[in-house]
Amino acid sequence: MRLLSYMGQWKSAAKEVLDRTAIVAKFLCLLHVTNNYLCSPTLVYGPSMLPTLNLTGDVVLAEHVSHRIGKVGRGDLVLVRSPVDPRRILTKRVVGMEGDTVCFYVDPMYSQTTVVPKGHVWIQGDNTYASSDSRHFGPLPYGLIQGKVFFRVWPPDGFGTLEQ
Amino acid sequence: MIPTFNLTGDMFLAERLSIKFGKVGPGDIVLLRSPESPRKVMVKRLLGLESHSVTYVVDPMNSDRCDTIVVPKGHVWVEGDNIYNSRDSRQFGPVPYSLLEGRVFCKIWPPKEFGSLMKSGMKDPDL
Repeated sequence: MRLLSYMGQWKSAAKEVLDRTAIVAKFLCLLHVTNNYLCSPTLVYGPSMLPTLNLTGDVVLAEHVSHRIGKVGRGDLVLVRSPVDPRRILTKRVVGMEGDTVCFYVDPMYSQTTVVPKGHVWIQGDNTYASSDSRHFGPLPYGLIQGKVFFRVWPPDGFGTLEQ
Repeated sequence: MIPTFNLTGDMFLAERLSIKFGKVGPGDIVLLRSPESPRKVMVKRLLGLESHSVTYVVDPMNSDRCDTIVVPKGHVWVEGDNIYNSRDSRQFGPVPYSLLEGRVFCKIWPPKEFGSLMKSGMKDPDL
């Protein structure tokens, strides 16, 4: 008789565990979809985007919708996967789209002009003295763009949209 | 990708874990986003990883001239099985590894060709 009442308790406890696990699983799925396909916060650091982004790290919001519908253009801050190291994500500015003629300085006295090929973009860091970008590894395939940065969340005195 | 895949369309299964863990190698058939048209996904055979030395026939329709290239860091070399009619790394160069999307491991349609795909029997990838 006691066994039957224990079984009843286990059943209701198991049901509650399953319900709560289902809620957590649904939340994690929603979080995954939002982070990868809608909007995600990212910590960006490094000197290559001074003065727009700080050296020691900013938290920015990047949206992942524009690059899928082809709405990334000149002057946008983008997150791209590095063509040299597949595990790193860089933050740079799009300076030229496919078909544009880009003129850049290899060193202070020598400038070079290239045409961006089809399906590629030309990215540069705002701080051209300390940035490894398309001037070093060439035009970047558009498919490597992961998202467009549009808002800064941290530090609080930099809160707000980032200018073009 | 004749003769591995038919002209009229095949269905196959592709898995995405190998790419994320870096477990693809020469001889695998991979899905990759085209470096020329970002909305297209292509199916090609991987022939060389970074720092591999790849020898390829530049223009098989017109000549037998071969060229050798060392694949740069972070890139891979892909070629179609039908080199006479394939737009691949011989035209647009080595492709960044991050453009790879999946690895093909099993063909499911047409039913008489069901099964796992052989590693290439026609080419010997150089190492």
